[in-house]
Amino acid sequence: MSAVLTFWPAIVKATLTTLWISWLALVLGGIVGAVIGHARLSRRRVLRWSAVAYTELFRSIPPLLLFAGCYYGLAYTLEIRLSPFAAATLALTLVASSLMSEVVRAAIESVGRGQRLAALASAMRPLQVMRYVVWPQAVRVMVPAATGVYITTLKDSSVASVIGYLELTRTTLLVRETTGKSFEALLIAALIYLALTYAISWLGALVERKFHFVH
Amino acid sequence: MSTEAPESAPRPPILVLERLTKRFGHRVVLDQIDLAVTPGEVVVLLGPSGTGKSTLLRCVNGLEEIEGGRILFEGREVLARSRTVIEIRKHIGMIFQNFNLYAHLSALDNVMLAPIKVLRERRDVVEARARELFRKVRLEHRMHAFPAQLSGGEQQRVAIARALAMQPTLLMFDEPTSALDPETVGDVLAVMEDLAREGRTMLVVTHEIGFARHVGDRLIFMDEGKIVEEGSPDGILERPKNERTQRFFSSILRG
Repeated sequence: MSAVLTFWPAIVKATLTTLWISWLALVLGGIVGAVIGHARLSRRRVLRWSAVAYTELFRSIPPLLLFAGCYYGLAYTLEIRLSPFAAATLALTLVASSLMSEVVRAAIESVGRGQRLAALASAMRPLQVMRYVVWPQAVRVMVPAATGVYITTLKDSSVASVIGYLELTRTTLLVRETTGKSFEALLIAALIYLALTYAISWLGALVERKFHFVH
Repeated sequence: MSTEAPESAPRPPILVLERLTKRFGHRVVLDQIDLAVTPGEVVVLLGPSGTGKSTLLRCVNGLEEIEGGRILFEGREVLARSRTVIEIRKHIGMIFQNFNLYAHLSALDNVMLAPIKVLRERRDVVEARARELFRKVRLEHRMHAFPAQLSGGEQQRVAIARALAMQPTLLMFDEPTSALDPETVGDVLAVMEDLAREGRTMLVVTHEIGFARHVGDRLIFMDEGKIVEEGSPDGILERPKNERTQRFFSSILRG
């Protein structure tokens, strides 16, 4: 154990990297997902179908293939050479946005049609209906599901190790090779993932309580 | 005095429907409806479920597109999905069967939202008016409650206050008591009766025969998208000419 722990600065740095890249993917994925989620509810068939295609495509491709595609695939086919960080962020954002689009769609649909009709009847413009009636309620519904997406993204970020990005899993594997202490290295990584996941759940619950309103 | 029009002079109607036709797919929901509502009049729409009464209300404020005919509100044509429809909606208050209060806002904020955001009125002005309205609907003690904490009858009275806050010239009620427990129906009807007595123009879809008889100025009986019979409450309720009207009332009065 102690042999592994001598690498603690690298492990801490890798933990922060994992947190950072999954947070970045959650935020970017949240933005893209919000756009796609709204497109799913659009009147225009082209928009709706494109959104469905996007969501289904990126949530059904295994993360490993997505990471490889963003790193090697783009380089070989389109000569777009991304750094491991950029490729990992892109791949993770694709996954997170496809998941978030479903979260956003469900949250918006959870706000009853009746409330929207009432808002329209009181002369609000469609954007005002969204801003003052739909979004404030949808955001609250989204928090628990978004927490789940963040946890998924955090775990999926470990796949970035295959393209040489030095996040927690990759660092752990290097420490294992260097020290030869397989079990200890993997155990520590697992415990760190567990702690991060638990912290995210806890934060999510906190935010959810803060947003709570009487149903 | 001599320059004023005599009481009996016809006032221009606030709402005119001309050969209004609405279809859902191939089904004709409203079939060439002609109707004019004069200011201060309480018009009650009666008839079996699914005969287009609620759809008619939604056409009037442009929530539904129409396939034929036209709708004139205060002389302006109502065109669903146009820019002008927003202007028209500012003057038409709508009360729904399921209240449709905004779940994330207190009763007071429900009432204040549209005047502040749509009419861009000052908050203190709107709040003073809102408090007055809560007194009118007899809910001044429930202003800070959220919709989920209110009974159905209370929610509906908040919804009426919300509609009134926009200072509309026409109020439309879409089966306002159909989703209520029997014991709260009376509170809502009492508020509606107050509004009628104030001389407000109201277009009411309801199954409450008592309200139609005592508060309505004119009853319109609809069936299968058509106006079957119309006239004074007593005339229609006591001596319905049409056979379908007779059947409907005898079934309602028996039930």
